[in-house]
Amino acid sequence: MNETQRTILHCDLDAFFASVEQLDDPELRGRPVLVGGTGARGVVAAASYEARVFGCRSAMPTARALRLCPDAICVPGRGARYSELSRRFMAILESFSPLVQPLSLDEAFVDVTGSRRLLGEGRVIAEEIRRRTREELGLVVSIGVAPNKFVAKIASDLEKPDALVIFEEAGLASRLASLPIERMWGIGPRSLPRFHAAGIRSFGDLQQVDPDRLASRFGESSRRFHDLSHGRDDRSVVSERTAKSIGQERTFAENIADRDSIESILLGEVEQVSERLRRSGARARTVTVKIRFGDFETISRSRTLPEPTDLTMRLWEHARDLFREWARSGFQSVRLIGCSVSGFDRDTQESLFEDPEARRAGRVDAVTDAIHARFGGRSISRARAVRRGER
Amino acid sequence: MKVVCDRAALVEALALAGSVVPTRTTAPVLGCIAITAADGMLTVAATNAEVGLTIGVPQVDIQKDGTSLVPSDKLTQIVRACEDTTLTLELEKSILHVHSEDAHFKIFGFDPKEFPGVKEFPEKASNCFTCSAKVLRRLISRTLFATAVENSRFAISGVLAEKRGKRLRFVATDGRRLAVAIGDVQGGAEEETFIIPAKPLQVLNKMVDDPDAMVSIAQEDSQAVFRIGEGADAAVLSTNLVEGQFPPFEDVIPKDQDKKVCFESAELGSAVRRAALLTNEESKGVRMAFSEKKLLLSSRAPEMGEAEIQVDLKSYQGDPIEIGFNPAYLTEALRVVDAPEIEIELKAPNKPGVMKVGADFTYVVMPVNLT
Repeated sequence: MNETQRTILHCDLDAFFASVEQLDDPELRGRPVLVGGTGARGVVAAASYEARVFGCRSAMPTARALRLCPDAICVPGRGARYSELSRRFMAILESFSPLVQPLSLDEAFVDVTGSRRLLGEGRVIAEEIRRRTREELGLVVSIGVAPNKFVAKIASDLEKPDALVIFEEAGLASRLASLPIERMWGIGPRSLPRFHAAGIRSFGDLQQVDPDRLASRFGESSRRFHDLSHGRDDRSVVSERTAKSIGQERTFAENIADRDSIESILLGEVEQVSERLRRSGARARTVTVKIRFGDFETISRSRTLPEPTDLTMRLWEHARDLFREWARSGFQSVRLIGCSVSGFDRDTQESLFEDPEARRAGRVDAVTDAIHARFGGRSISRARAVRRGER
Repeated sequence: MKVVCDRAALVEALALAGSVVPTRTTAPVLGCIAITAADGMLTVAATNAEVGLTIGVPQVDIQKDGTSLVPSDKLTQIVRACEDTTLTLELEKSILHVHSEDAHFKIFGFDPKEFPGVKEFPEKASNCFTCSAKVLRRLISRTLFATAVENSRFAISGVLAEKRGKRLRFVATDGRRLAVAIGDVQGGAEEETFIIPAKPLQVLNKMVDDPDAMVSIAQEDSQAVFRIGEGADAAVLSTNLVEGQFPPFEDVIPKDQDKKVCFESAELGSAVRRAALLTNEESKGVRMAFSEKKLLLSSRAPEMGEAEIQVDLKSYQGDPIEIGFNPAYLTEALRVVDAPEIEIELKAPNKPGVMKVGADFTYVVMPVNLT
């Protein structure tokens, strides 16, 4: 094997939420299942493959999904159960390499370059992961094996469900050539017609285009498409699962004096930090808010919670309180606002008594995480956090 | 007031009273204790508005009756610091003089009328029942450790006391583990249910010295009152009860555990404590793998290390199982269980485990999800 080549796996659990529901309730197996909100404005967080045949997809309004598949069974999500299985799935991946980068509860990159000598080629490791996932969790994972993240992710999706697709370094570009550009990350429904108008319909077409011409027509950021179309991607697999803290902060061009606006921005940060926390498989005990105001004076305010949590709702309550406490004691216009969580607990303690409020919050978080995973960052937010001037 | 006291006895009484006095007060008079000499007895009284206590001080020679109201911490420090066998306390107006062989202290006190007073034991209460100090101590020690530090949903910062006929049951939980202890009592009403805050139970536990002493328990005016012993050395503690709802604990006591094993408490305790050495805040669970002949405990603290401990099992009933627990929840229970053997009952890795000592002690613990 070529020592300088990397071997990256993209592991993607098939129809995760729906599969978990079918796993826990045998009555649901083989039936079309929709996981998500059942109210008037409910949204599908996940659809089982039996429902996908009818055209049901995640992020689709439940009402529409039910029109497409009237026999589909709707179940509310169980955030805690998905988190539990996600943690166990990530733990299986981690037994093959410490470089595991979860992208969502059901998807992760694994860099097994350093594990090949001991554990075998990418294919061998991938098959072992599939076997263990099936036996230990009762779930099916599709895996793409490739020399980099981009191709690995394309590979895992090519023959889903229950697939193992391998792309060798040799002949990579020619194998990618026939793929339609819809599969290119970053080319969505809005830019598609413009590429088609330029005669670019496949990866092969992109491979042929001069990168400078591409940039002048579609913008600097499109240069990347040229590299990606050849199957070149040097992003590394970054693990957040051993981090001691997770945070996000934003500096403004001009100080902001409107408290509501600051809180909206803080909420957006809390949502993102909470999501990363859930992905890392931990719960946090400490919330910290960082504020820079006046002449670059920067302060942090922390609070340790009585119980570790990964619920956006709880983290937001405390972050908001911390900000308001500071504001009460002498508000000044703010230049930077950030939040972080720490004091992680990875072995999650179960509770004796149900907490319906926490369960509801966990459901919301699970659905939101699923939508984000499919559509990216800010596609769905609490109403408050929608920033002015942004989509 | 003038009284000669055995210093050791006085120290003990002052320590107990001191544990009830609030440490930070808005007015100095609230940090005081009342010392009363009357009818040949010396009593120390303290209150923090929620909990009140009076204790008799034995081995005293009353030379003159009277009441002194003085700051608890200062008096306690002085009495502790002296080395004499006896001390003489003498009241002059509101100044309390403490005489020892080689020293003389004056403590400025307050008018005893300012003392809010402590509830007396309601002798005539129809709901008054009794139990031995030994039983009460056992009920307290077997449950107090499991109370919650803070909780907004349920009234679990205290211990639930449930009397049904001749049986008194104490229940405590923090939402993750639940302890139920049962003891025999006599008299009183057929059914009683009330929640006692944790702090006064801690004090009560320390007040009970003689296991054979009788403790009387009654309720009046939304308070529970305990009297330990009778006569000169009797002590009385009264406390407000905890308002609010106790969670539905009966529902969470499992009834269908199908994996059972007996342990020597000491052996299990030692194994769990050693496994706990390689846990930390982030990774605090201990994995317990039960099989027919042995239990394998393992733990892993990232960047620190791992531990593996093996315990031979004399008999194990049921299928093998791997389950994780916070080791503190196990060792805390084992510490208060004063029995050489305990039974553990399990069902599934995500279902609660049960520790039992006969029918008198049941302890339910929720597992951790191990990564």
